[in-house]
Amino acid sequence: MVGSEALRLEDVRKVYGAEGNRVTALDGVSLSLPAGSFTAVMGPSGSGKSTLLQCAAGLDRPTGGRVFVAGAELAAGGGEAALTKFRRKRIGFVFQQFNLLPALTVLQNVTLPLKLAGRKADKRRAAEILGRVGLGDRLGHLPAELSGGQQQRVAIARALVTEPEVLFGDEPTGALDTRSAREVLGLLQEAVRMYGRTVVMVTHDPVAASYADGVLFLADGRLVGSLTAPTAEAVAERMTHLADEVERQRALAGV
Amino acid sequence: MFALALRSLRKRAGGFAASFTALFLGAAIVMAFASMLDTSIRGNASGAAAETLTIMAAVVGSWGLVLVVLAVSSTLALSVRQRAEEMALLKSIGATPAQLGRMVVGEAAVLAVAAWALGIVPGLLGGRALLAMLHDTGQVPESIGYAFGPVAPAMGLGVTLVSAVAAAMLAVRRTARARVAESLADAAIGETRLGWKRTAGGIVFLLLGLDLAVITSTVLRNEGDAAMATAGQADICAALGLALLAPWLIRRIAGALAGPLRLLGVAGDLAVSTLRRRTGQMAAVVMPIILFSGIAAGTIYLQEIERDAIRAAGLLSTVEQKNIATLNFVVIGMILVFTAVMLVNTLLAATAHRRREFGQARLAGATPGQVLGAVALESVLLTVIGLVCGAFAAAFTVVPFGIARAGTALPDLGPLTMAGVAAVAAALTMATALGAARRAVRVPAVEAVAV
Repeated sequence: MVGSEALRLEDVRKVYGAEGNRVTALDGVSLSLPAGSFTAVMGPSGSGKSTLLQCAAGLDRPTGGRVFVAGAELAAGGGEAALTKFRRKRIGFVFQQFNLLPALTVLQNVTLPLKLAGRKADKRRAAEILGRVGLGDRLGHLPAELSGGQQQRVAIARALVTEPEVLFGDEPTGALDTRSAREVLGLLQEAVRMYGRTVVMVTHDPVAASYADGVLFLADGRLVGSLTAPTAEAVAERMTHLADEVERQRALAGV
Repeated sequence: MFALALRSLRKRAGGFAASFTALFLGAAIVMAFASMLDTSIRGNASGAAAETLTIMAAVVGSWGLVLVVLAVSSTLALSVRQRAEEMALLKSIGATPAQLGRMVVGEAAVLAVAAWALGIVPGLLGGRALLAMLHDTGQVPESIGYAFGPVAPAMGLGVTLVSAVAAAMLAVRRTARARVAESLADAAIGETRLGWKRTAGGIVFLLLGLDLAVITSTVLRNEGDAAMATAGQADICAALGLALLAPWLIRRIAGALAGPLRLLGVAGDLAVSTLRRRTGQMAAVVMPIILFSGIAAGTIYLQEIERDAIRAAGLLSTVEQKNIATLNFVVIGMILVFTAVMLVNTLLAATAHRRREFGQARLAGATPGQVLGAVALESVLLTVIGLVCGAFAAAFTVVPFGIARAGTALPDLGPLTMAGVAAVAAALTMATALGAARRAVRVPAVEAVAV
């Protein structure tokens, strides 16, 4: 797996709004992430991080450009059903608000993606993954009976059970206390280091970003920089000067 | 608070559509029948004709009051519950329970007056048609002409206003009394458990239905009209009892059917979980189906048994028997219209409320088709549970009245009536649930889960 490409974006653009009132959320983003990498995407509010994640993950269709997940192109045509099938075969999600189904137990939530995809709902494997995230004794609980950190760990187990090519996290620690956040980030890191998964995480928290192998910085819908082996301090420092950096790049480009 | 009530009516007209429909239909029907009193007074009716006209007005008027209170309290309760967060917000900025009560009651009163005003013309036309029908059947002589007012509009306004205000007071009581933190939590979970009051009420109604059924088939066995009165109420009591016990029934039935349903794949899985864990909301949908099918089937079969018994005896129907038949059909007609409004309203609200849940299922990998499949299966289950309970309730009328009038507990009636009732209930449930769910899944999943 290592060495092959998990995610590629080619000149991806996303424009919202009608004629005369257009907002460019993504302005030609190209990137390539190898399999088995852990990448954080950072940027100020309104920089387009969430749009980037939604376009890359097939939750939304870009206005222009192409998206490849493990070599398979996200088709421009096809309805919502086609997009769903593309997603559930290749992509896993972890959201800020957990988004577990409230009427299903922990175990049922984790086996749900398999059942929806018409695959064998292997309860033993689901239970084993839940054990790995420390919830082996909570299989029959409902999400409402768990803490936020526990719910997010269920969401991680649910995302991993389909063995996705890429696992996307949208502010996965945004609703958690520091300790739960650290546990969740540790689990994402473990998914990459021990099981070879690819993780892309949008965050605004420099500490969360420091768990990743690399950080991409986004501003005004463009990639404006990157950092490898980040520390929280370096990321925070870079974020503070992101505005200046954008100015300088614009001046260089003669815009 | 009255100014706030007016503003909220204007800004959220859609949320009040169901309550308004119920009030409007109630006002029009009550006025149509109340105009029989005007006709009787103005036309100097006497004897059987006067009695016919008065009975029509009185029976339908009182039934109308009961039905409108029930229907409007269900629709208003839902719109109040959906605004639980707004209520909690108002409370947190210092609104007292009494002020909240005044706001909701004020909204309902304005709705009632508007519904009454719009109901006058349809009521007038309906009354004219009703009198023409009574002329045709010879129940009222042609010499008595149609009159509308002053009794009809006064009674219409009275019934509409009283039922709206009563319903609003019932709806607001629970929400207004809860403490701020509780109502915020309530808004998040929105789950209700079957309380002992409700259980007791359900059992009392069932026993009452049983009592009426036993009386019909024993004491009143040879008393035609009296047997009809008790038999006609038995199914209504039984249906109300079962409707109150609906949450318990659903949990039991879902538990029993869990195995076979799971074999239907992921849709069956999701449907079982929803029925088991969202029993409160599901019961709100099953209740009008039970009332609708139980009362409709019971009353229509009752009328068929009576007609056959009269024919078998080689008699012609008397004016009084015709009156009873007409009244029975009008009353069921009203019940059906109101339960249909309740059913559609409850389903629309319950489904729209689940937009977020549908979004979550789609993010977990469900295609829009799979979400709709689960909703369709749920609707089928709810319809079947409702219809089985409804048929059971109808038996409280059919079996004893069959014993009393036809000498057999299983009169030969044919399945057509029950099939017709079932088809209407199923069509209403499926069309509404799937239509609302389709609209809910059209929103992108990421937007649907955003709070």
